[in-house]
Amino acid sequence: MRKTLLTTAALVALFAGSAGAADLKFKPGEDSRFNWSSFEEFKAGHDLKGQTLTIFGPWRGEDEALFRSVFAYFTEATGVEVKYSSSENYEQQIVIDTQAGSPPDVAILPQPGLIADLASKGYLTPLGDETKTWLMENYAAGQSWVDLSTYKDKDGNAHLFAFPYKIDVKSLVWYVPENFEDAGYEVPKTMEDLKALTEQIVADGGTPWCIGLGSGGATGWPATDWVEDLMLRTQTPETYDKWVTNAIPFTDPAVTGAIDEFGWFAKNDKFVAGGAAAVASTDFRDSPKGLFSSPPKCYLHHQASFIPSFFPEGTVVGQDADFFYMPPYASKSDLGNPVLGAGTLAMITKDTPAARAFFDFLKTPIAHEVWMAQSSFLTPFKSANQEAYANAPMKKQGEILLNSTTFRFDGSDLMPGKIGAGAFWTGMVDFVGGKSSADVADGIQKAWDAIK
Amino acid sequence: MSGATRSPLSIVVHLSVLLLVALWTLPTAGLLISSLRDKDQLAVSGWWTALSTSTQNLVYRAPSPETQVERDGKFVVAGNVMEGQQAEVSAFGFNSREPAAFQPGETVQMNDGERLTVQADGTFEIVSDTRMEGTRGQRIFFTAAIPPRFTLDNYREVLRAEGIGQSFINSLTVAIPSTIIPILVAAFCAYALAWMRFPGRAILIAVVVGLLVVPLQMSLIPLLKLYNGVGAFLGVPAKTYVGIWLAHMGFGLPLAIYLLRNYMAGLPKEIMESARVDGASDFDIFVKIILPLSFPALASFAIFQFLWTWNDLLVAIVFLGTGNDELVLTGRLVNLLGSRGGNWEILTASAFITIIVPLIVFFALQRYLVRGLLAGSVKGG
Repeated sequence: MRKTLLTTAALVALFAGSAGAADLKFKPGEDSRFNWSSFEEFKAGHDLKGQTLTIFGPWRGEDEALFRSVFAYFTEATGVEVKYSSSENYEQQIVIDTQAGSPPDVAILPQPGLIADLASKGYLTPLGDETKTWLMENYAAGQSWVDLSTYKDKDGNAHLFAFPYKIDVKSLVWYVPENFEDAGYEVPKTMEDLKALTEQIVADGGTPWCIGLGSGGATGWPATDWVEDLMLRTQTPETYDKWVTNAIPFTDPAVTGAIDEFGWFAKNDKFVAGGAAAVASTDFRDSPKGLFSSPPKCYLHHQASFIPSFFPEGTVVGQDADFFYMPPYASKSDLGNPVLGAGTLAMITKDTPAARAFFDFLKTPIAHEVWMAQSSFLTPFKSANQEAYANAPMKKQGEILLNSTTFRFDGSDLMPGKIGAGAFWTGMVDFVGGKSSADVADGIQKAWDAIK
Repeated sequence: MSGATRSPLSIVVHLSVLLLVALWTLPTAGLLISSLRDKDQLAVSGWWTALSTSTQNLVYRAPSPETQVERDGKFVVAGNVMEGQQAEVSAFGFNSREPAAFQPGETVQMNDGERLTVQADGTFEIVSDTRMEGTRGQRIFFTAAIPPRFTLDNYREVLRAEGIGQSFINSLTVAIPSTIIPILVAAFCAYALAWMRFPGRAILIAVVVGLLVVPLQMSLIPLLKLYNGVGAFLGVPAKTYVGIWLAHMGFGLPLAIYLLRNYMAGLPKEIMESARVDGASDFDIFVKIILPLSFPALASFAIFQFLWTWNDLLVAIVFLGTGNDELVLTGRLVNLLGSRGGNWEILTASAFITIIVPLIVFFALQRYLVRGLLAGSVKGG
């Protein structure tokens, strides 16, 4: 019922573009957590009444309702009517629409590999140096965001084409605090401790991990997150960057080492719920449910910040379930606290005044705070009020993001589609199915050589 | 043929038919049962477990200590772990490691000095000598035989979703003309290819058959480019219903022409010749003789085409768009699944909701299909 109400509210906000502030989720001026002056300032600077803006994004269902609640403020401030749409095959859809010449005004995508492709074909409009400086100054670890958003255009010149908005932290391990209490376990601070805990749980007769790689046509991707996380904890960020661009081959000992580290967890029948054979066939959406069964099917689950959507209904994050930062190795303390993440990037596919205004809107704290105050939204934007996060777990994730010494984007999203969304996935399924890391890496490298 | 004596072989045939029917309908039955199940249960157990009473290990969270009442100098939190259901508790526990350590009726000492009792009917009591602290209630683990439980919640959620009515109408607006237009065009075309003599007829037929193998996905971008061009030239939007009708017509025509031509070519030549002797034109022959005789083929193609356009998602989102006003039913339902597609329960319920329209179409046209087949079986007419 509440969801229906939310959606209705969002739709009303959409259609009644010129209606009063009553349609907005949080009334301007009322809650001191929000930076309303930034909203008023933006409102005063932009009047585009009567124009429309089409946005194409990856969010559907509940996420869509959340995004609608954010751009309601954009509509309120500028008078621009926003038409948001999405589809399950948004990756293909955006390619078809841009190639055929009927792109949306603004596209929001989570795959840098796809964005690089669109940029190189000349379908994107550069955002300009002003946005570049803005990102450098206002985003935590600004340089890494600028690097992520810079792509080569048709003529091979690098421009800033995208604007990162809404980040997911991936380096998280989820657990049920009460189960830890019952068994007397402590949250591990180092990777060595985590491994010791894993062995301890087995010694106590339990099963430590729930790992599920199943995801329909994308089966295998949760394992790539594992490998990337372990890669960042065993190798320098520079090696990681070389890996995602294939400057070092997949068969490099640095890479197979990280894959074998993942194998230590996933390929041991005693360490995973259902045994190693169940890893590839369990759906990633179902696997966290083992944490909550009675008796617990597992005690630990490695997954990104979005996973609470798939916890059983009524689970309170922070109390019924909690997370800790996937710890680094004590033996490799010089690598600091690396954080693996993913996120969505917005870009202009059709240059209109309304599209430009929308990017100005994304630079206001309010565009971040409204979503922060609801759910599943993290931002590296330093001026957005950390107090605006809806709950303590989100705030904690926000802190992990702001305190990271190294931030790296999900490597499989950076690799060419055939690898990052193909050979790497299937390779990981083969790996948990019993193949050796060397064989798997060799197969992926061959696939990469084939598309060079 | 008389059915007086049955050979053993026919029993085998009947048995294997029964077996095949069971195999074919089993997934649908599973889907139906799944659609009536609670979404949390759907995620953890198979649909076959939903049919019988099953022993389950469950977790109940007691109300928070804030709800405690003082009774005879002791502090008590009470309630029922069943939450309104009828079932019998066979064991309980308070520690996740030993969820079935105690028998119902026992009073057990918990770690922090509180005492827990759970009765067989599910009522429980947590008693403490001192005021209880904290905001979260105690977890109570229990084992109980849970009878099958079904709910219409999934259907409710789908039917109440925002914009589902609009999408239903959109889907009909796409599917009905997209079925009728290609049939009209294809019937004329098939007659010409089957019965009218003109040079190049054989080549034309070969081209049509050749078009059957062109994958639709290949033509999406060029076709949309063309639409964008035409739209810009005429000053109209590129993504309209007319556009998608034409697209569906184009994608459906080769198969339609091929099917109908083969059917019409098989009609007895004598009818056409005697009609021509009586002075009928090609148009008369087509309207008065061929069309009524080809009804079975027309009906079966109509079923095909309607099913395909109704179930289509790709062509609709490419040529009609994904906005709120123009989204078709399939697109709406996919979006309901959420960004990561985890809402299984919606998938099962929506499958049964979308299936209704094609079923109506099928049964409505089925009548003609059978009648047409019977009419064709009387020879020499």
